[in-house]
Amino acid sequence: MLPDTRRSCPFAEDSFSRFPSQSNMYGLCQAGEQELLAATLKGKVVCFRYQDLQHKIRPVAKEVQFTYIPVDAEIVSIDSFNKSSPNRGLVVGITFIKDSGDKATPFLNIYCDYEPGSEFNLESIAQSCLNLELQFTPFQLYHTELQFEEGQRETVFLLSGHDQRIHLYKENASLHQFEEQPVEKFFPELSELPSNVLWMDVLSIDNCRRLTTFGCQNGCVGLALVNQRGPEIVSSWRLQQDSPISTVLLFPLKLPAHNSSKAGLQADEVTEYNLLVTSTIEMAVVYRNVEQNGMSKPVCLTDSDQCDAVLCALLIDLDFDGQQEVLLGTYGQDLLCYKFQQPNGTTEGQFQLMWRRSFKSPLLSVIYLDLTGDGLKELAILTIKGLHILQHSLTSTADLVLQRLANTVAKLSTVPRDQPITDQDAEQKESSLKNGQNTSVS
Amino acid sequence: MRSLSFVQRVCLDFTGTLFPHAICLGDADNDSLNELVVGDTSGKLYIYKNDESKPWMTRTCVGMLTCVGVGDICNKGKNLVVAVGAEGWFHLFDIAAAAAKADSSSQTDVDEQKPCFTQHIPANTKVMLISDIDGDGRSELVVGYTDRVVRAFRWEESTDSSDLSGGQLVFLKKWLLEGQVDSLSVNPGPEGLPELMVSQPGCGYANLLCSWTQEGAAGPGEDASAASSSEGPSRDLILHLTTGRIHNKNVSTHLIGSISRGSKEDDSKGGLFALCTLDGTLKLMDSSEQLLWSVQVDHQLFALQKLDVTGDGREEVVACAWDGQTYIIDHNRMVVRFQFDENVNAFCAGQYACKEGRNSPCLVYVSFSHKIYVYWRVELERMEPTSLQRVLEERPEYTDLLHKLGVDPSDTDAVRRLIGDVLYRDSEKDKAD
Repeated sequence: MLPDTRRSCPFAEDSFSRFPSQSNMYGLCQAGEQELLAATLKGKVVCFRYQDLQHKIRPVAKEVQFTYIPVDAEIVSIDSFNKSSPNRGLVVGITFIKDSGDKATPFLNIYCDYEPGSEFNLESIAQSCLNLELQFTPFQLYHTELQFEEGQRETVFLLSGHDQRIHLYKENASLHQFEEQPVEKFFPELSELPSNVLWMDVLSIDNCRRLTTFGCQNGCVGLALVNQRGPEIVSSWRLQQDSPISTVLLFPLKLPAHNSSKAGLQADEVTEYNLLVTSTIEMAVVYRNVEQNGMSKPVCLTDSDQCDAVLCALLIDLDFDGQQEVLLGTYGQDLLCYKFQQPNGTTEGQFQLMWRRSFKSPLLSVIYLDLTGDGLKELAILTIKGLHILQHSLTSTADLVLQRLANTVAKLSTVPRDQPITDQDAEQKESSLKNGQNTSVS
Repeated sequence: MRSLSFVQRVCLDFTGTLFPHAICLGDADNDSLNELVVGDTSGKLYIYKNDESKPWMTRTCVGMLTCVGVGDICNKGKNLVVAVGAEGWFHLFDIAAAAAKADSSSQTDVDEQKPCFTQHIPANTKVMLISDIDGDGRSELVVGYTDRVVRAFRWEESTDSSDLSGGQLVFLKKWLLEGQVDSLSVNPGPEGLPELMVSQPGCGYANLLCSWTQEGAAGPGEDASAASSSEGPSRDLILHLTTGRIHNKNVSTHLIGSISRGSKEDDSKGGLFALCTLDGTLKLMDSSEQLLWSVQVDHQLFALQKLDVTGDGREEVVACAWDGQTYIIDHNRMVVRFQFDENVNAFCAGQYACKEGRNSPCLVYVSFSHKIYVYWRVELERMEPTSLQRVLEERPEYTDLLHKLGVDPSDTDAVRRLIGDVLYRDSEKDKAD
């Protein structure tokens, strides 16, 4: 068992929806701005959102009837994304295995409505289906945004399978449908894999580059730095761990700039990219500054192996300080939160266990999104028994918002007259960047 | 309906079987922290303290314990533990004195297992209440029986005696009711005086009048004490049947009174009480018989309690069903549901000092698998699902700040963007690179 942590979980449960059958670690995704989809094993997909009725909100979990999912199907994974601009529309992908007794057949269904006006209507999207039969057992269904040299962007599905390959599904705009394209063409780093991929993650970074990582069933972790122009692999790394890899996630951390760094510049902070690897038996590890070091600088998350296998992980800024915290969800029914401690001369940067929260059943998947539509995001946690929605303490968050608003107002009143206008421009640019981001990597 | 899953719980060992009223929370040893008192059908009394799975103290009584209680029954300013058996044996335990003795001397005395006072009262007990029922500021003991009888007793002792041996229970009054009595409770009436209430089948209740207090008030022509037993029932109790969708006139009904309204001035308007039935009707009423709300659920409710889960001084109604479904309902009819995953043998809710050395709101479930589960710190910030914007709108400075920033408070999208920006700007900026 874990040592007791001094702090307690800053979230309070707002609702719990029990599901008729269990789900798995690929069974939860965000669909649109304020909704999420949870797939259960017995072919049912539940849409969860908060309904706003006469200035009161209430949680609603409703089954969505996605067409062409037979009654005897077992859903494996679900994912959804908003199409990259200028295209509009919500795309939902569901993989399932139809077991009619003699032979199990896997399928990928892609739902997308091209009718103007109903591109974001889940009910009508669920009725327009592209049904693809698969030659392999599907695992994670993932989406990422491709950047082409001409500045165009397009979001595609990536699906890992038990055939030791990753398959790419890309929209054919003229035919209004998705089709499989060779993955090597767009993701050369995802060809010739050592084993079945259980989890993958792609992060776009500056200078039109991206970091791609995948974790395999045999314990292999792959990482590549790719120039999206081409695309061409700049460098790639492989590492062997001792147990199946459950998740791999890339995330930025801000560090105070070193005096020696030539890029000291005006900024007093530098951003480095890190890789979180969770495995089913070993401790979770963060590889620091992978862009420069590859996987040569590991930092262990102490005691993360004490609560059974880590099945899901998430990086979110849950204390609103601009730095992301690590959340781990375990089969041992615990949610663990680690926070990065800035290095101070003598010690290297460490991840320290901040708090833990227990649940009634094993945790399968966790996402963070604004369900209530108030700008504050909620934590959605899928467990074997159902879906938990955890909300930040509203009283203390309201205090923080008021304090920050007051600071902003104070800043505005001290700067000269013409300043606020440029300020506003910067703000707008920021928010447009952010909106662009919402549709790309999660 | 909002549904929650509480997870902070401790598991206590309990191997016996018990009657549904043989469990209660109260300060048994007068240390201002509450203990859990449980009595089983073999006459064993268990007192659990904090999160220890083993009982802190056990005591032996005569017969099958049907009801236990904690209260200042002797009016000495000190809580005693009361245990009553089906055969009519009434037991008193002074736990504080026993605890002090156990601290000073290490050897355990066999005599300590024995109660410090026993008395035989009429048998076939079912429910018990320790409370002031006649408004004299002193506690009485009220016992409900399986034969539809309710009896009231008072502790009286000769003035010169200092310990319990000099006192005894004195019978005050007997009421005979038409239906089974599943709960006893007191509720402050419109004048602020306590009124004794009992539940009656079919979502009904009856007010029992304490005739010994009316003797003085009644005119000399009306000789209440001399009223014959045949006339008695019509005079000393007032039966109320609530209206509404009652499917079964004989359905078992529970009642709880003195539900706090949260503020002194509201409390002066008389108390609130709640009713629940086995076929799933829940009602909240005030002492002038006004219905505040009624809720229909499809679970068999067998226990009714009150508990302040939001910490605002207003007590919520807590009802539990045999299958573990638990409803917490506030005065505005906001419902929060919780599913306990086993069938429930007995249920109670209240303050219990489980951890951290302080009382916290707890739900206590006795399962059929030899365990008692205590869910501790059952606290909610609010009963209703709420968004951050609602909370901000209650703050006086909020709209002013929005105006200064040039944001229209009624433009929810702009407000949402602003709040999202204020909270997450720093962390999202990197990702957008």
